[in-house]
Amino acid sequence: MAQKKTFICIGCPLGCRVTLTIDGKGAVAGFAGNKCKEGEKYVLEEYTNPVRTLTATVLTEGSSQPLLAVRTSRPIVKTKLAEGMAVLAKVRARPPLKIGDVVVPNLLDTGADIVASGNLSS
Amino acid sequence: MSRVETEVLIIGGGIGGAAIARELSRYTADATLVEKGADVGQGITKYSSTIMCQGANVLEFRSEYHNSRLVWAGMPLMEPLCRELDVPFKRIGSLELVENQAGMRHPEKMMRRFKDWHGKYLPSDIEPLQFIDRDTLRAWEPNVDKKYIGAVYDPNIAVNDPVRLTIALVDNAKKNGINVLLETEVLDIKAGTDGFEVWTNNGSIACRYIINAAGEYVGKIAQMVDADDFAMYPVKSYQAVLDKKVGGLINRMVLATGSGMVSPTIHGNLFFGISPGSQRLGKAHDHSTDKKLADTALRHAQELVPAVSAADIINSFVGFIVFRNFEIGWHECTVGVSRWVPRFINASIGFPGICAAPGVAKEMIDILTRQGLRLAENPRFDPYEKAMPDFSDLSDEEKKELIARDPRYGHVVCRCETVTEGEIVEAIRRGARTLDGVKFRCRPGMGRCQGGFCGPRVTRILARELGISEEEVTKKGGESRNLLYKGKELLEAHQ
Amino acid sequence: MKLHDVDVAVIGAGPAGMAAAIRAREAGAEKVVLMERAEELGGLLHQCVHNGFGLLYFNEDLTGPEYGHRFIEKALDTGVTPLLETMVVRLGEDRQIGAVNTKEGFITFRPKSIVLAMGCRERSRGALNIPGTRPAGVLTAGTAQRYVNVEGFVPGKKVVILGSGDIGMIMARRLTLEGARVEAVVEILPYIGGLIRNEVQCLHDFDIPLFLNHTVTQIHGEERVEAVTVAQVNGNRQPVAGTQRTIACDTLLLSVGLIPENELSIMAGVRLDPVTGGARVDETRQTNIPGVFAGGNVLHVHDLVDNVSWESEMAGESAARFALEGKQKESGKIVVRAGRNIRYVVPQTISGRRDTTLYMRVNEPEETVRIKVGDIMTKGVRAVKPSEMLKIELSAEKLGKLREGTKEITVDCEKRGGK
Repeated sequence: MAQKKTFICIGCPLGCRVTLTIDGKGAVAGFAGNKCKEGEKYVLEEYTNPVRTLTATVLTEGSSQPLLAVRTSRPIVKTKLAEGMAVLAKVRARPPLKIGDVVVPNLLDTGADIVASGNLSS
Repeated sequence: MSRVETEVLIIGGGIGGAAIARELSRYTADATLVEKGADVGQGITKYSSTIMCQGANVLEFRSEYHNSRLVWAGMPLMEPLCRELDVPFKRIGSLELVENQAGMRHPEKMMRRFKDWHGKYLPSDIEPLQFIDRDTLRAWEPNVDKKYIGAVYDPNIAVNDPVRLTIALVDNAKKNGINVLLETEVLDIKAGTDGFEVWTNNGSIACRYIINAAGEYVGKIAQMVDADDFAMYPVKSYQAVLDKKVGGLINRMVLATGSGMVSPTIHGNLFFGISPGSQRLGKAHDHSTDKKLADTALRHAQELVPAVSAADIINSFVGFIVFRNFEIGWHECTVGVSRWVPRFINASIGFPGICAAPGVAKEMIDILTRQGLRLAENPRFDPYEKAMPDFSDLSDEEKKELIARDPRYGHVVCRCETVTEGEIVEAIRRGARTLDGVKFRCRPGMGRCQGGFCGPRVTRILARELGISEEEVTKKGGESRNLLYKGKELLEAHQ
Repeated sequence: MKLHDVDVAVIGAGPAGMAAAIRAREAGAEKVVLMERAEELGGLLHQCVHNGFGLLYFNEDLTGPEYGHRFIEKALDTGVTPLLETMVVRLGEDRQIGAVNTKEGFITFRPKSIVLAMGCRERSRGALNIPGTRPAGVLTAGTAQRYVNVEGFVPGKKVVILGSGDIGMIMARRLTLEGARVEAVVEILPYIGGLIRNEVQCLHDFDIPLFLNHTVTQIHGEERVEAVTVAQVNGNRQPVAGTQRTIACDTLLLSVGLIPENELSIMAGVRLDPVTGGARVDETRQTNIPGVFAGGNVLHVHDLVDNVSWESEMAGESAARFALEGKQKESGKIVVRAGRNIRYVVPQTISGRRDTTLYMRVNEPEETVRIKVGDIMTKGVRAVKPSEMLKIELSAEKLGKLREGTKEITVDCEKRGGK
C-alpha cells in the first residue's frame, strides 16, 4: 500500500506543500506540489532523517547569571529534542565558560555535544 | 488569629475610606481602616476619571440631592487638600461644546442657574462659568471638531491622580495614628447591643462604629447586618488612556451632551471615556471591558476631537459607578447611618466620588458625633505629606544632585515614563508590595509599552527589597502571581 | 568619561548599534561612543537563545548570543567606546544628548553625528484593546522570552499565544521544551506573521495547533488568567458570531507586532514615516536632521538580524563621514514611492548617484511576481510575503538611467506571466 505524507518546504517564502508518496516497500515513489527541485531535496531529508539544532538554557551554579544559553554542536535527530531537555534540566553550569565550551559531551549518544552559546562568568 | 479592638472601623481603602480615615486622624480617634486588597485605591478609585471639582457645570445636579451637595462642598476643598498632601493637582478647565443654535438652550440654562446658585448652593469662592464663541474655541482648542459653534467654559475643573491622592490620604492618616490593615477582608459582621464583632481573613475585630466605605462591595457588607436599606445599580463606564505623544491635542477637558469626553490627564496623557449618565447597567463586579463599549467611546471621542485614534490607545479599563436611583436617570449617594442598625454608617458616594470625598469626610465627623462618638482634637496632627521624588520632572541640576546622593536614581528602569530604580525602591519603602503598588506610586509600566520592558526589572527589585523570590511577586496581591514556575521546574515535575 | 570630543554617538547597543559603531570606527571616526542602558552590549540578542542568526551575514547558523558576541568582540577590537548602564533621556534638534547613569549622574554632550539604534518595542495588550478582565498572566512574547531565557522563570504551564509573529512562534517552541503546554497559536490573518521555517520547526514539530483567521475576543480571570475566548473572524477581521470557544489557560502571550522605538527621534525633530513608524531617511540613512542617522529596527522592523547589521553599517559609515567632513553636499532628492502591493520602501529618498539598496515589504502574499523600480529595473521573485523583507540592489550605473530632473520613482510588485 502506498503512503502519502505532506511537508511544508522552508526553502523559500513560497512554502510549498509537498506531498511525498512512499510505495509499499517503503521506498520514495514520488513528489507532488513542489515548484522546484529544492523541494524534493528538503522533503527527502525531512522524511529520512529530520534533524534540528536544540537550543535551550541550563541553570547555573556560582554565577550571578541564573541561566546559560546552550545549543547542540550540530543538529540532532528531531525525536530526541524532549529527551535532550530532560537531560539539560539536571545540568548545572559552573563558571567560567566561554562560547563553544562543552557542557554535556555526546548528548544521548547523538554524537553532538551540548555547548555553551553564551559566556558565563562568576 | 489576632483580635483587634478599635472604636471606629472603616471598611474599604478607596478614596472614600481614605478621606474619612484622614479626617478622623485630626482627632484622637481610635480608628482602624481595613482593605481587602494588597493596596489602597485599587477598586472603583483606580477606575475613576481624574476629573476634579465638578459641580458647577452639571445640569443634572440638584440642590435637593445629597450627592450634589457633597460634590459642591468638595469643590473648594480639593486643591488645598492636594497641596497639603503634595499630590499633583492641575486646573485645566472644561469646555461643554455646543453644536448648533438649538443646542444653545443648554448653556443658557446652565449660565442662568450658575448665577442663581453661586454663593447659595455653589460655594462663593469658585470661578464663574463663561460662554466662549466659535473663534475663541478654535483659538483655545484647534483640534476640537470645527462643527462646534461655542462652549461653556468651566474654569474650576481640574485633574489629579485619584490613586495617589488615596495613597497619600492613607499614609497621612497612618502617620496621625489611624491603624491600617491591608489584605484584610471582612467576611462577616454581627451587631451586638453596643458594638460589632467583625470576622476577617486575618482574625476578628471588635468595634463600636462601622463605616461601610467598601465601594462596589458596599451592598455586600451592609447585607451582613441587614443594613442594606438602599438599592444598588452598578453602571459600567469605559475609559481609555492615550500615548503621551498625543497628550497635547487638547488643553482642557472637552465634552458634549449625549456624547463622551476627552481630557488631558495630570501626567500628560489624554484619556477619553463615556460619561456615566448615559451608560447601561452592568453585572455586579464584572470588570471586563467589552468591544461595544470601547467602540462607542472611541466614536464619541472622535466626534469631539477627530484626531483621537485607536492606534494611540495604550490602556483601557471599565469603571463602576454605583447608582442608587438609576430609574430616575440620576443617582443619589448613600452617606448616613443605616435606618435599622445604629452606629453602622454607609458611605457609598457614587459619582463623582473623588470630587465628593472631601465633603463626605467632613460630614462623617458630624454623623459620628451625632451617633455618640466623642472626638477631641489630635494635638499632634500633621496635615502634610511629602511626595516621593519624580525623577522625570526634575531639572538637570536636581537630577545630578539626586543621583549624587543616591546613585540608584541614575538607573532608569522604565524607559517610557523615565522611572529610576531609586524611585521604585522609595515606593516600596513607602508601602508598595505589588507590581501595581509600584506602578501607581511612581508609574513604571504606565507608559506606552505597558511594562513589557520594565516588568522583569521591577519584579526583580520588588523581590530583592521585600526579601521574597520573584515568583512570589504579584500584580495586585492574592493569586495574581506573574511568574508561576521556576526555570526547569516543569521539566523536573515530569520526571 | 570625557565626551566633549565625540565624533559619533550611537544610541543603543543591540545588533544595529554595534554594527553602526564598528563601521563608524572602520570608516575613520576617531571617537565612537556606543550608549547602552543595559549592563552589557548585545541588546535583545542575549535573550534570543534560538539559532537561525547569521545565515546570510556569516554563512553560519548561530544563536542570538553567538551572533551578538562576534559583534561585541569586534566592537572592542576596533576601539569603540562603550558607555554602559546609561540611558539617553533627551535628544535635542542640535544633536545635544542628555543621559543618565549611576556613576556620572546626568551628562550632556554634543557629538558630531548620531546614529539612532534604539530598536523596537512590542505592541501591548493596551494597544490591542483586547476586551476582558485585567489579570496577571498577560504578557508580550518578548517579555516572556526574557523571563524564560535570561531570568530563569516560566510564566505558566497552559499557554495561548495571540499572533504568529516570529517571537511568538519561537516562544511556543521554547515553552513546550521547558515543559509548558501551548494550547493554541491564534492568528487574525489568513497567513502566519512570521517565517515559514518557524511555522514548521516551532509549531508543526511540536503539534501546536495554529488557528488562522481567529482572534482572542475576551480574557477571563480576576487575579490570574483563567481562560480566553477565541473566535473566527470574517474578511473585515471582525469576530463571527457563534464561532466563540473558550480555552482554559493560565497565560496569554502576545506576539502582535513591533513598533520602532522613536521617542528620542521625535524629541530631536526627526520626521517619521507613518507606515514604518521609523524615520524617513535617504540612502545614507540620514534623517531630516543633518548628522542624525538611523539603522535597524528603529528605522523599520526587519525580518532577519543579518539585514539589521548590514543596514546599520550604512548608517555607521555615513555618520563617520558626516563627523569627518561635516554636512554632506548631496542629499536625497528623488522620492521613492511604494506602488502596487508594496507597503513601504526604505530609504524614502535617494540621490540617484551612488549604489543603493532598497528594503521593502509587501502588503499581501503573492506568487510569481516581479519587482519593478520605475523603468530602470525589474527583478522576478517567486513569492512575496508581508513577513519577509525584500531587498533590491540598485547600482549607480542603473540609477544613471534615470532621466535628469526625476523627482520620484515608484516601486511596484507586479504579477508575472499575464495572470
